[in-house]
Amino acid sequence: MERAAGGVSYQRFPRVRIRELKDDYAKFELRDTDASMANALRRVMIAEVPTVAIDLVEIEVNSSVLNDEFIAHRLGLIPLTSAAAMAMRFSRDCDACDGDGSCEYCSVEFHLAARATDSDQTLEVTSNDLRSTDPKKSCKGILIVKLRRGQELRLRAIARKGIGKDHAKWSPAATVTFMYEPEIRINEELMETLTLEEKRNLVESSPTKVFNIDPNTQQVVVEDAEAYTYDDEVIKKVDAMGKPGLIEINAKEDSFIFTVETTGAITAYELIMNAITVLRQKLDAVRLQDDDADLGELGAHLVGG
Amino acid sequence: MAAGKSSSASKEDQYAALRELYRPHIDSFDYFIDEGLDKMLQSIRPVEITVPNSPTTLRNILPASIRFSLLFFFFLPFARRLQFSGAVFCVLSKLCHLRGADSEKLIFHGEEATEMGGYFICGGMERLVRILILQKRNYPMGLIRGSFVNRGAGYTDKAVIIRCVQDDQSSVTIKLYYLLNGSARLGFWLGGREFLLPVGIVLKALIDTSDREIFTSLTCCYSDHYERGKGVVSTQLIGERAQIILDEVRDLSLFTRTECLLHLGKYFRSVMEGFEKDDFETVAEAVLKDYIFVHLQNNHDKFNLLIFMLQKLYAIVDQTASPDKADALQYQEVLLPGHLITVFLKDRLQDWLRKSKRLIVEEATKNKSFDLNDSQEVRKFLSKTSAYVGKAIQSMIKVGKVNSQSGLDLPQRDGMTIHAERLNFHRYISHFRSVHRGSSFAKMRTTSVRKLLPESWGFLCPVHTPDGEPCGLLNHMTSTCRISSFYNSEGATKDFQKIKMSLIARLVGAGMAQLLPRIERTGPPEVLHVHVDGCIVGSIASAKIEEVIPEDLEVGYVPLSHGGAYPGLYLFTNPARFLRPAFMEIRCPDGGDGGRNKLFPATHEEIHPTAILSVVANLTPWSDHNQSPRNMYQCQMAKQTMGFCGQALKFRTDVKAFHLQMYVILLLAVRWLIKIFFQTPQTPIVRTATYSKYCMDEFPSGTNAIVAVLSYTGYDMEDAMILNKSSVDRGMFRGHIFQTECIDLSAKSRDNVTEFFCKSNLSRDTTASIESDGLPRIGENIFPNEQYYSVCNNLTGTVRPIKLKGSEPAAIDYVAVNGTNFKDRLQKANIRLRRVRNPIIGDKFSSRHGQKGVCSQLWPDIDMPFSANTGMRPDLIINPHAFPSRMTIAMLLESIAAKAGSLKGKFIDATPFASSVKERSKSIVDELGPMLASYGFNYHGTEVLYSGVFGTEMKCEIFLGPVYYQRLRHMVSDKFQVRTTGRIDQITRQPIGGRKYGGGIRFGEMERDALLAHGASYLLHDRLHSCSDYHIADVCSICGSLLTATVIKSESQKKAKRDMLGLPTVKPPKNFACQACKTSKGMETVAMPYVFRYLASELAAMNIKLELRLSNRTELPTTTSEES
Repeated sequence: MERAAGGVSYQRFPRVRIRELKDDYAKFELRDTDASMANALRRVMIAEVPTVAIDLVEIEVNSSVLNDEFIAHRLGLIPLTSAAAMAMRFSRDCDACDGDGSCEYCSVEFHLAARATDSDQTLEVTSNDLRSTDPKKSCKGILIVKLRRGQELRLRAIARKGIGKDHAKWSPAATVTFMYEPEIRINEELMETLTLEEKRNLVESSPTKVFNIDPNTQQVVVEDAEAYTYDDEVIKKVDAMGKPGLIEINAKEDSFIFTVETTGAITAYELIMNAITVLRQKLDAVRLQDDDADLGELGAHLVGG
Repeated sequence: MAAGKSSSASKEDQYAALRELYRPHIDSFDYFIDEGLDKMLQSIRPVEITVPNSPTTLRNILPASIRFSLLFFFFLPFARRLQFSGAVFCVLSKLCHLRGADSEKLIFHGEEATEMGGYFICGGMERLVRILILQKRNYPMGLIRGSFVNRGAGYTDKAVIIRCVQDDQSSVTIKLYYLLNGSARLGFWLGGREFLLPVGIVLKALIDTSDREIFTSLTCCYSDHYERGKGVVSTQLIGERAQIILDEVRDLSLFTRTECLLHLGKYFRSVMEGFEKDDFETVAEAVLKDYIFVHLQNNHDKFNLLIFMLQKLYAIVDQTASPDKADALQYQEVLLPGHLITVFLKDRLQDWLRKSKRLIVEEATKNKSFDLNDSQEVRKFLSKTSAYVGKAIQSMIKVGKVNSQSGLDLPQRDGMTIHAERLNFHRYISHFRSVHRGSSFAKMRTTSVRKLLPESWGFLCPVHTPDGEPCGLLNHMTSTCRISSFYNSEGATKDFQKIKMSLIARLVGAGMAQLLPRIERTGPPEVLHVHVDGCIVGSIASAKIEEVIPEDLEVGYVPLSHGGAYPGLYLFTNPARFLRPAFMEIRCPDGGDGGRNKLFPATHEEIHPTAILSVVANLTPWSDHNQSPRNMYQCQMAKQTMGFCGQALKFRTDVKAFHLQMYVILLLAVRWLIKIFFQTPQTPIVRTATYSKYCMDEFPSGTNAIVAVLSYTGYDMEDAMILNKSSVDRGMFRGHIFQTECIDLSAKSRDNVTEFFCKSNLSRDTTASIESDGLPRIGENIFPNEQYYSVCNNLTGTVRPIKLKGSEPAAIDYVAVNGTNFKDRLQKANIRLRRVRNPIIGDKFSSRHGQKGVCSQLWPDIDMPFSANTGMRPDLIINPHAFPSRMTIAMLLESIAAKAGSLKGKFIDATPFASSVKERSKSIVDELGPMLASYGFNYHGTEVLYSGVFGTEMKCEIFLGPVYYQRLRHMVSDKFQVRTTGRIDQITRQPIGGRKYGGGIRFGEMERDALLAHGASYLLHDRLHSCSDYHIADVCSICGSLLTATVIKSESQKKAKRDMLGLPTVKPPKNFACQACKTSKGMETVAMPYVFRYLASELAAMNIKLELRLSNRTELPTTTSEES
């Protein structure tokens, strides 16, 4: 990369601190960077981290109440365990099968055969009934269709690698969001002029529990700064009380608190790490663009799918 | 869908409210089956056949078993699946085998659990009789209408009109016209023309009476000491007028009843059918019985009513009483299906008897051995034409046309039935609750009939009427409105005679003086005439009018006034009137007030304010917070929603076909059914009480979409809206269209040439989708122009494959084979096609507040704004400009309420006018705001959003919340029209029009003007010439003609030479010569629109020569013919 004019480097070294990490949930801080970086990470997590999802369905028998397209659509939306998705190939780039998506490098085949024979109860066909050729792939029991006695569903489904930009079924993220870390300053001098009743009103003016009154000192304290939603309710209240400057809230331009939830296709940790990998690949692609290099798989990311 | 499964008993109750809406349709048909048919048959006049030269007379040829055969031939309840049979019966009526079936049985039979019936199944179509507004029966209505003057010389614009309805529901309208000379004429229609009788003759013909009696009866409501004041309806002129009426009769030298009857008889014998042989008196009696006040049997009653009508007429003439408002609901009733069928069937039976009689007489005169007493023989002739009766009823239901000579006293002859579309549930309900004013009013220029009158309060919905042409004419009954019927609330038949007798007894008890048999000697100021169902039963002192009311009794008490409506006490018990429930002040015998509030001064009280709204209008949440036209638009759009049209969709194909097109060219009768089906509907979070009352959850029609109100990309301008692509990917607003093709090859088979389904075993090109029986395989995807079934002609033996039309691929959803006429070949089949319709740019959506919009972009999820604390991205973005001018506040309320409701996990009640019923201290926002705040959200429903593209906070707070959105059935896929090249018109060579044929869109004069104004001449030339009918013509510049060019045969030597050398033949350049000038010297090529050439030939056909002068014209030096 060429240096910016004047030879000054704007390179920053962001820090990440993970606060909470569960299988499908993560909360972490991203500091010393700016909104473009944070948003890029968010966007990549939602739309460009690859997963595996059912993409092709061959229905042999379907006498259920739902029609073929409906079932195919429901199958597609089932999150499949996609830990290995990063290593897989996009079926269109696959050399082994000429892109028709029927080889082990780019696809996983599933079979489903269900027939309701029980006289009284409806049979619930769930994602557990999907039998895979690759025994590693499994998923939780998500309802696909209910079958009445005598109804049958038999199909072959092929799952492929893809990204959320193409279709939401490939998106591993249920929710990815970040907020700017708020910086709350209370003017203690002015605060002293308030009665307890006024303080209480002030605290309650925020719909979220940002402030509280210390039961001992009866001072207004910041209980949870991050609960603040930038709704300006407290600021408006302060202005209405005729005490401008009592509370000042600013967003830190370089600190972000991320909340990540996944669909279960990959873990939150994988999601974050894969997102960083993808983001790096994209940046590499930009860097390599001058060299007119063969971008390969990266090119796909660059041109959007 | 409905989450909790309640027990079957309570489920039945759950649908009871829904079924109540359909009652008018079913009840009237039930009555037709129960009693109406018998009464109608009784009222048919027996036909008498006498054959000249034969001593025997045959009386009453109507077979006794006719009721039985009628029921079994025309109204037999076949199972609905037999769509090719032509049974006519009302679903869920007493003839229906599903009558009283619980929802489980209905489901077992492949019906909806909620099936409400009320329609007729005819030729596979579901049709219902349109409820039409008629003039109220048996009520003399005073009218001023300019057209009355046209009746003849001396007629004025004033008349009293009464529509008399007999027991068999057939009616005769009698008009009493006022003449300039003070007399009156009684008019009625018979055999296609109006007969006008001097009223005196009718009065005298009705009963044995004297001039004096008539005079006193007429003048009884006037007394010398009356002055113009309250309650005085008569003036002293009435004496003179009575004199004139009597003089008129005397001038005809008719004095006694018999003389009058003879006079009438002589006049009418030629027009009354079946009375050719009778004496005049019998004819006159028949006229009086069949045409004059047919609702009354007693001639004295008729006399009294006529006297009363005269008094009313004179009061209107003297302006002591005001004319009645024909447009007001109080003077109206409705035409019900059972009544229509009774009337029409009677007419057809009479017609059948007439025809049969003619046949028998013809046969008897020809064939001497024909014995009239031989019932077998007679029956043979009867059955010859009997089939037409059933066919006529069938076609009436099918087409909605009433084919009758007399017109049956109905306001219109066609449009009596409509197709019960099941596009969605709103639409379906609306069909059964709609009331039409009559097609004749649609053409009228005046708007007075379309006005919403205060009389309609609570009966007709003020909101639910379409805008545009049928506005105000096509109304909908309110959700609580009922129609009085022959059945009481327990379901037993009402005995009107008994009701009437007990009513009279009660009235007599209350001080009514019964009039027996003559009208008494006093009128309005002191006593009021009491009419029960159009019969004057007595008079009651005006000071003491109290009523005792049987169920559904209508008390029309017109009090004394000065210049107001004609006073009287009018009681109605008969069916087909509008009814609605309300709290009412009834003085209880124990002196109590029924627990009602003493402070409340009114006599009646609404049960709930929403009772003024129809079912569909009631479903708009908080409609009282919307600008009223928006609620009207919502009523329209609710009926266009793609929703769950039926749960029994799988079983419904064959029955539900409706005619869109008939393909006759291919010797095929093809019927289409289009049904739109919404894949992922939800129940609204914010709903009115009506929503659950009418089980709308069984047929949901929309999605709770997270709506952000902001102008984000510019793609939401002018009511466009942005959909989140990921939401659509996940199934939001996905839908299908089901289209059923009913293929009946037998219908078009001629002679012995039959066609049947068959797969060709010869040609290899038939695709895999056609199975061995010639029909497609279920589940197969068919692409446009792909073959999907094939038909074999047994004469030629050729197999003709049929290709899929249109530009959309389709999946075969269902194939049904009809084997009822299965001889050896398969000829009837239904093929249901399924087309996926996912939301795309250009599809139409709307909220429940008349806020429609078109999808302008499917925006990527990552680019949508997001909320920092919830991470929520909106499903849908609309522009804030949609609100200020439209003032749909309820939509904003819905957003807040649904947000609070979804956080709380509760449905929010949004019944309109709730605040006026409940004591609500707070406004709705004040109720919802704290609820939102308690969950950590902004009090006013706004949120801070971050740009999805930049990740930065947006400057202002965005209104964000779930709003129930509907997808409307208008989709671009059905409407887009695009073409580069394609078919052209044969004559003009210009592109054809019409989307179906791949035609273009007309670039018309105004578009041309626009281009001219822009100076875009190149574009103009491109559109109107190069892309249209560009043509290069050969013009002779000598004579200027463009029609005279002929091809000169080039020498064939060159061709031969090429042939010899074995080279491919090349078309030699054509040489043209002018036929008129006999030379090719002046030939030039000129580019022109082809129509210009066509114009030249058209002109030439009219002997006009069109001459072109070319600028580089070559002139022949010798022969010049410049002038022309």
